[in-house]
Amino acid sequence: MADVRRDARLVQLEIVSAAMGARRRKRLRSLVTNVAVYGSLLVFAFITLFPFFWMLITSFKLPGDVFRLPPNLRPSLLWTETPFANYTQVLFQFDFLRYAGNSLFVATTAATGQLVTCSLAGFAFARMRFPLKNVLFGLLIFTLLVPIEVTIIPEFLLMVRLGWLDTYLPLIVPSLMVGAFGTFLLTEYFKTVPASLEEAATIDGASPFAIYRHIFLPLATPALASLFVIAFITNWNELLRPVLYISDRNLRTLPLGLTTLQGQYESSWTLLMAGSVISILPMILVYLAAQKYIIRGFMSSGIK
Amino acid sequence: MKRRPFIAMLVLVAMVLGLASAQTLRYFSWETNIPEETAALIAEFEAMHPGVSIDFEALPPDQYWPRMSAMAAANNLPDVFYMSSGFIFEWQANGLLANLQSYVDGIDLADYFSGVLATTRFPSPETGDVHAVPINWVGPVLYYNQDAFDEAGLAYPNDDWTWDDFLAAATALTVDKTGNGRIDQWGYWVYGRYAQVEPWIYQNGGRILNEARTRLEVDDAARETLQFLSDLVNVHEVAPRPQEMEGIRQQDVFPLGLAAMWVDGSWNISNNRSIIGDQFTWNIAMIPSGPSSETRIGYTWPDMLAIASGSEHEEIAWKFVEFMTGPGRPAETFLGGTVPFYRPTAESEAWLEPGLQPADKGVVLQLGGLPTRTSFTPNWSEWRGYGAAEGGGMNGELDLVFNGRKALDQAIETFVEYGNQVLSRSYPEP
Amino acid sequence: MRYAKFTPFLFILPMLVGLLVFRLIPIGFSFGISFTSWNIFSPPRWIGFDNYRTLLQSPAFWEVARNTVVFALVFVPVVMGLGLSLALLVNQKLRGSTFFRGVFFMPYITSIVAVALAWKWILATRFGLLNNALMDWFGVQHPPSWLGDPRYALFAVAFVLAWQSAGFQMLLFLAGLQNIDESLKEAAMIDGASRGQVFRFITLPLLSPITFFVLIISLIASSQTFEVTYALTGGGPQRASTTLAFYIYQNAFVHFQMGFASSLAYTLLLFVGGLTLVNFVLRRRWVHYG
Repeated sequence: MADVRRDARLVQLEIVSAAMGARRRKRLRSLVTNVAVYGSLLVFAFITLFPFFWMLITSFKLPGDVFRLPPNLRPSLLWTETPFANYTQVLFQFDFLRYAGNSLFVATTAATGQLVTCSLAGFAFARMRFPLKNVLFGLLIFTLLVPIEVTIIPEFLLMVRLGWLDTYLPLIVPSLMVGAFGTFLLTEYFKTVPASLEEAATIDGASPFAIYRHIFLPLATPALASLFVIAFITNWNELLRPVLYISDRNLRTLPLGLTTLQGQYESSWTLLMAGSVISILPMILVYLAAQKYIIRGFMSSGIK
Repeated sequence: MKRRPFIAMLVLVAMVLGLASAQTLRYFSWETNIPEETAALIAEFEAMHPGVSIDFEALPPDQYWPRMSAMAAANNLPDVFYMSSGFIFEWQANGLLANLQSYVDGIDLADYFSGVLATTRFPSPETGDVHAVPINWVGPVLYYNQDAFDEAGLAYPNDDWTWDDFLAAATALTVDKTGNGRIDQWGYWVYGRYAQVEPWIYQNGGRILNEARTRLEVDDAARETLQFLSDLVNVHEVAPRPQEMEGIRQQDVFPLGLAAMWVDGSWNISNNRSIIGDQFTWNIAMIPSGPSSETRIGYTWPDMLAIASGSEHEEIAWKFVEFMTGPGRPAETFLGGTVPFYRPTAESEAWLEPGLQPADKGVVLQLGGLPTRTSFTPNWSEWRGYGAAEGGGMNGELDLVFNGRKALDQAIETFVEYGNQVLSRSYPEP
Repeated sequence: MRYAKFTPFLFILPMLVGLLVFRLIPIGFSFGISFTSWNIFSPPRWIGFDNYRTLLQSPAFWEVARNTVVFALVFVPVVMGLGLSLALLVNQKLRGSTFFRGVFFMPYITSIVAVALAWKWILATRFGLLNNALMDWFGVQHPPSWLGDPRYALFAVAFVLAWQSAGFQMLLFLAGLQNIDESLKEAAMIDGASRGQVFRFITLPLLSPITFFVLIISLIASSQTFEVTYALTGGGPQRASTTLAFYIYQNAFVHFQMGFASSLAYTLLLFVGGLTLVNFVLRRRWVHYG
């Protein structure tokens, strides 16, 4: 009896120690995985951040120091009496705050508008049947394939006809109405929503708009947030259109303002980099703000 | 009651007069780097001409030309705008520029570098009517690192330098300072760029265009020059292959001390100053004449102001052009090394800047007195390979030669054939 | 699902109007222009099929077309692989993943000029960080000219562009990953599936609609690229790194041959459009919808 009990205790002990060993091995393995994951993350991070650092440091250099050999990352302006000279010059001499405000207005309006028009169209393309659907969708994708360089002059002549020169209309309206990219994105995204959700809502008597508004839009929060970020950035960076359409100094957008730092014979690189640093800050903010909607959209756990 | 119509009439007359004298000129330039100076000049002009106001806008060349072309297409050109030597021919040929000959007849050209007017005449550079007025002109010179010459115990370049003198100096200046088997300072730096190649050709009496400038035709003197330049890189190895300098801006090779001599446009004085600072002493000289040269040629070309044909304000636009290109514009508004069209400004101390480098800045002015030769034609950027298309055309072919990837004769054959295809669009076979 | 006949048109109305007015009118106009000789600043002149004939006969066009294909073959797989890897990495419940998500997106918003200058710094023949490393650490005597050698320039541009835009692909994949039901993965894990199997049999198929979207968008992006080319190599040496979009830009706004540029654009469209269509047709084979 006693032996049996002892054996049983032994077996129990063996099981426990084996389990502990497995746990230890598992912990070790997860440590190795973690190191590998963090290692690769850090390597990627270094490579991705390098040009940004280069830009940041160049914006704190004296003009003659940008192209020194061998190349260095010494922000030489910081050792002078006016370490922020490049930034103050860009901000005040070139009226950058106003340009930034203008860009903010244009990019926000266009991106917000795209959320509405693209999601409406995307919903129809993904969930409805109608004549010419594939033709229209094809045409939409097709517009993405034509380089802007060959359509911009005809577009300019159209805007002249419409009397839209020197307004924000040419920068906002076309982008807001036809987001081919956004429509395509949301169409694909909406297609992944199980049909059962839609059917259930229809049985409950919901209107098409209500289904779009209350079922599909919330589900698409991650895609909508991504689209907003991308549309914002695209519109924020747009250069060719402002060059052609905007004359009035007070209406200039940031990229248009930045061009004034480039010259025929020479460019002011230190100012240009200071201006670039300023001009990407709003994009970073928008991205950070959108991130929490992109990751785990709050309703996405609802899909079953 | 009776006086009312009278008052109304008065108001109307005043308004008409007001309208007549209140004129708004639209003015476009690519000089983005002197906003305050330009604003001051405009304010001065507006003060001299009450009732005239000027709407000014500036974009750098990459954006300036698409914008101007779009405005021309919409028939909405500004009254006064900048014009470049590379594009003026096509703009003249398309009737977009007002004929300014009668106005120019009214000014005393003795006060100006009138030689550069050739570019503005149409249809013939010699006898045609002037269609734009130069603001400034530029031309290539020989830059040299004075400290490097001193170190090598060499005499500085002078007007009598021959190609042999140049080669001897370049050889002595090519040194491996650290002794690691790699050259740290080359004697010279050249790639296929127009401002680095054509001046040598012209100083050897050569031509790359036929007399009528309708076809590419590389004559013997030009071939001889291209061979000389190619040999500097591939045979004598006193200049680096262009691909060796890839990643460094071409205009920085000399100021960074990687090459002790360099030929390029006079506007580089400004970049040299900002990069070299007081790290070494440098200067400029005339480009050496080749063995086939008979007379010195000045390879110079202007940046210009033009008036749109059909401008409603042509009279006042001319007054503005005259003001901006004449004595009214101070030397400080000309970026280092671009020469004011108005001679007294160019010859003033304010422009010559004694005490600043290069000590012999006046050498640039000598170019203005010489007979000129250029390679500008319709679609010049395309066959020459310029700006965003620098990799192509004649520039690209010559780089293949300098990189040791193609024989010179073959490269010449290729760029001549390509160039003549381009030119035949403007000048079809008779 | 059945909806009233007019309902779909109400949903697409704003897009439809915009498409017709702001996209198809300029596109139609520029298609017409491809049959003319037009320098923009003077009226276009009708020349029929001359532009198309010229381009088909020009060796430059074929060289550029070949570059475009090679570029796409390098860029698309690299950028999609990078984008998906980054998305999977930062989608894990890791400390600091929010930070890394931000970091990996940075190249996409950093100005192209800064990106190009920084990369020139790395890739420069002499004094370049990469070549210095090759010489000092690996004893390479004559490291290559990454941007100046026709054998490498195109790949250098494709790589830098892939690096620059991977954050964008990452963002799209990340949005797609959010739509995958975690409970499915967990159930599979309980049933004894390995991480690799979960990825292969659950994540990838469920992600396929977004993968399809990213594929098409990357293909289009590769055919439209010109800013990085411009800033990094200028399309050189000679035409070695010139792809069609950059060639179109050169012809449109450097040479002002808008007619020729337009004919190039519609040739490119035929090509990329064909590829896109093929992808749409092949979609059934590998894309799974919910």
